[in-house]
Amino acid sequence: MEITVCIGSSCHLKGSREVVTKLEYLISNAHLSDKLKLNGCFCTGECAKGVCVKIDGELYSVSPADTEQFFENEVLRRLK
Amino acid sequence: MSITVDISYKSLHKFHEELCGDKVELLKTDTSTILILADGMGSGVKANILATLTSKILGTMFLNGASLEECVQTIVKTLPVCKVRQVAYSTFSILQIFPNKDAYLVEFDNPACVFIRDHALVSLPYMERIIEGKKIRECRFQVEKNDCLILMSDGVIHAGVGKSLNFGWTWDHMANYAAEATKRTLSSSRLVSVLCKACDDLYLHAPGDDTTIAVARIIPAKPVHLFTGPPLNKDEDAYVVSRFMEGDAKKIISGGTSANIVARVLHREIHTTLNYVDPAIPPTATMEGMDLVTEGVLTLTRTLTLMKRYVNEPVDEDFFTELDQLNGGSMIAKILIEDCTDLHLFVGKTINEAHQNPAFPFDLSIRMNLVAGIIDAMKKMGKTVTVEYY
Repeated sequence: MEITVCIGSSCHLKGSREVVTKLEYLISNAHLSDKLKLNGCFCTGECAKGVCVKIDGELYSVSPADTEQFFENEVLRRLK
Repeated sequence: MSITVDISYKSLHKFHEELCGDKVELLKTDTSTILILADGMGSGVKANILATLTSKILGTMFLNGASLEECVQTIVKTLPVCKVRQVAYSTFSILQIFPNKDAYLVEFDNPACVFIRDHALVSLPYMERIIEGKKIRECRFQVEKNDCLILMSDGVIHAGVGKSLNFGWTWDHMANYAAEATKRTLSSSRLVSVLCKACDDLYLHAPGDDTTIAVARIIPAKPVHLFTGPPLNKDEDAYVVSRFMEGDAKKIISGGTSANIVARVLHREIHTTLNYVDPAIPPTATMEGMDLVTEGVLTLTRTLTLMKRYVNEPVDEDFFTELDQLNGGSMIAKILIEDCTDLHLFVGKTINEAHQNPAFPFDLSIRMNLVAGIIDAMKKMGKTVTVEYY
């Protein structure tokens, strides 16, 4: 499964680096590095919804504060 | 391949002086590049005025094809006479380089130009003549690719006199040091920085005289194409990209959407990384055929900051350490400062509505200001800039 985080200007200012760092930690902590691929991408044109994160093409709006929640609810749910 | 002249210059002010009594004037036209270094008598305001007048008069007259005699006559008759010394005096060096590799050097009382070819010193075939009672040295010669020419004020060869060295740096030692340094430095900007640092060290960081070094290196033309910002009219995307891809210039894309446009038009993939070299700047990406792909405004803001520092402040090794960082901002600045003679900008005028967010630290619609700042800085560095807006 592939998770793509937007690293464009707008999302960067809304904290995409923190989201990336947290996701990297959560993934390695859950020993899911071989199942989850974390990628960056440039602006997806959805700046208003930033930080834009896509799981296999489906768009989510994530903030640094709710990254754990997003990981638990969306990422782990899909893996089950 | 056509040649071009990579020029950089720096001055150290005499200790405690607010103004520099040396002045460098750089003129680039289609027909030649003219570099002038004038050193006004005394220091401070008076010297600054003398040097400025001298360099400006020489530059303007040379540019318009006046003969050396006319130039010297004009200077002698124009410069204000010093009340104390009853003379009007400013030394000068003029170096003119033509695209066909002809070079013309004129010197009046400045230390001789250091001419380095293949890391070795070459002596120049000077001729002397007297104009208006002044002994002027001139020579005509041919330059080759990778030649390096250094003009300087006498503060350079006197560096350290009476402090760290009995007789100062001296021309011979300075010239040998410079020849050695050309092995380690490729750009004129780094060579100037190395030489100025040496002077400053010899002066124990309190220069006893205004000290100026101007370096001209003969290099092949290095065009760079920079594409930033999506065109207002989407129908123009393909045209802009085709213009951007023309020729063998280095190609930089600065802007996520801009990168997406190029990828779409050329059917290429963008490979982004999540490697945050600098937390303040989004990571760079790669694309086949591109030398650099970065995010837009945040990256360019950093680039412009570095360029302004380079143009306006004395640059030291710390500056180059930062320029060598692998964040997008430093990477673009490094290419523009050190690896570019002609910059061609392709600027799209679309403003991202989502950026108009009061929660952001600044207005992201500043792309236009950034572009204007970059053009200004590049021109101050003596580089050629053209821009196309879409």
